[in-house]
Amino acid sequence: MKKRVVIAAKYAALGCITLLFLLPIIYMLANSFMTSAEIAEKYTTNSEHYAGFHLIPDRFSLEQYYQAFLRRPQFLKLFWNSMLITVPIVAVQTIVSVFAAFAFTKLRFPLRDALFFIFIILLILPSWVTLMPNYMMIQRMGLLDTVWSLILPSSFTAFGVCLLRQYMRYVPDETIEAAKIDGASTVKILFKIVLPQVKGGVASLIILTFIDSWNMVEQVIIYISDKEKYPLSVALSEYAATDSGIIFACGVIFMFPPLLLYLYHSREFKNARM
Amino acid sequence: MKLKTKEAITGICFALPALIGIFVFYLIPYVISLYYGFTLRGKFVGFQNFALLFKSKTFWLAIKNTAVFSVIAIPLAVIIPLLISLFLSTFDKHTGFFSSLFLSPLIVPIASVVYVWQIFFTDYGVINSLLQKIGLQPVAFFKGPWSMALVIFIFVWKNCAYNIILFSAGLRKIPKEVREPARLDGANPFQVLTKITLPLLSPTTFFVLLMTIISSFKIYREVYMLYGVYPDEHVYMIQHFMNNNFNNLNYPRLSTASIVLSIFVIAFMLVFFLAERRSSK
Repeated sequence: MKKRVVIAAKYAALGCITLLFLLPIIYMLANSFMTSAEIAEKYTTNSEHYAGFHLIPDRFSLEQYYQAFLRRPQFLKLFWNSMLITVPIVAVQTIVSVFAAFAFTKLRFPLRDALFFIFIILLILPSWVTLMPNYMMIQRMGLLDTVWSLILPSSFTAFGVCLLRQYMRYVPDETIEAAKIDGASTVKILFKIVLPQVKGGVASLIILTFIDSWNMVEQVIIYISDKEKYPLSVALSEYAATDSGIIFACGVIFMFPPLLLYLYHSREFKNARM
Repeated sequence: MKLKTKEAITGICFALPALIGIFVFYLIPYVISLYYGFTLRGKFVGFQNFALLFKSKTFWLAIKNTAVFSVIAIPLAVIIPLLISLFLSTFDKHTGFFSSLFLSPLIVPIASVVYVWQIFFTDYGVINSLLQKIGLQPVAFFKGPWSMALVIFIFVWKNCAYNIILFSAGLRKIPKEVREPARLDGANPFQVLTKITLPLLSPTTFFVLLMTIISSFKIYREVYMLYGVYPDEHVYMIQHFMNNNFNNLNYPRLSTASIVLSIFVIAFMLVFFLAERRSSK
């Protein structure tokens, strides 16, 4: 009997912790079904009127979604800008990193370890250090104020190579040697033997790179001056100031691509390896 | 012999795209920025640019705020997930469902939830209305020293998730057989934790710490969403300092700051990795 009480208490505590993490997200979801009028009424604050905690809308409405999808071409354009940046970065970075990580883990070539050391240093350098070199190159290439200035530097980061190398290290050398003796080409070994064993690493890389690019801020405000080219990660906060009536639905829509990607790969992602 | 050269050629070819990208966008321009760091309008000026940088008040303000933020936020974002994953490990049943829910703050974009944070923390927001109801003074989260507290809170909220996953994976790797005998020998749960579990967990802890430090470098994103381009001086971070200098394209200043900060970060990381090596011995 006593044990049962303990278990119930533990689950209650776990529920509370979970709720704490989820509250802002649940709040955003719930409020996305408010009407714009209700948002204006409840969240216009001044010293007389504090914002209350309104989890449940007075009236369930799809007005915000209707407005965002069908009445705001500008919003969809910004959403498309985000996609236009994120998808190429994820694709290039994944492909480049798979090949490079395989070379750095399983193939022997001169200067290999010295070159990999550069990747480790780059991995830890923050954007406040790397933006300046990036900027100089982008400017020299004449790419300022184009999407390429956002796509190119972010496609080549040390993160992908280092992450995948951590996974590939655990692929036993014997399987690779055996395939070699059977006459398999290096490309075939990579795709038929190594990649199937590091699916979790590739999934993690895709998800984390997607999230990182989807949230891109620093590069955008430095390289891009034309606000038409802004991705939603930057534009949404300005949007909130001018069009706060549909802001919750916009937030929910913006959240969907990374969420779907995560749900699709969640099992591999959770079996994190280091 | 021939096989070895073939392997070397393939290896270089496979690594080449990544290497070209890294050299073109990071290494070569970094070397060029060394030139800018020591020159002014084309003339070699020695360490003059550095001296000017170190005299800049905003530079030190940015360093101070970033340091305060890191010293408080990073330990919190490691210890809280550690406690939660220790708690999760006491469940007999699988808690995978809960840990996937925990990950949501990481998955959900910053820009999506920022409006909710504003409603909660603004001067006449939900939190202050609560504080008022229980008879406390309202707090200005967007001005003054409390703005740093808000930034730290949001960082911890966002980064706990991934660290819980990493810690849980680390804890699963410690077999029960290691902990059980100590229990039978009369060690209390606290002793088992400090003498057996935590030391065995230390590789994971180092990795979590490293990942948290790397994400702490990206705190600018949250600050930008909450406070815009010109934040309160309490949350004026290094990235703000760099951005200001990008606005007026002050190349010598940007280059010297880049060089100084990169040397500092690399030195810090070397100490970090040495400490890890020593502790794992």
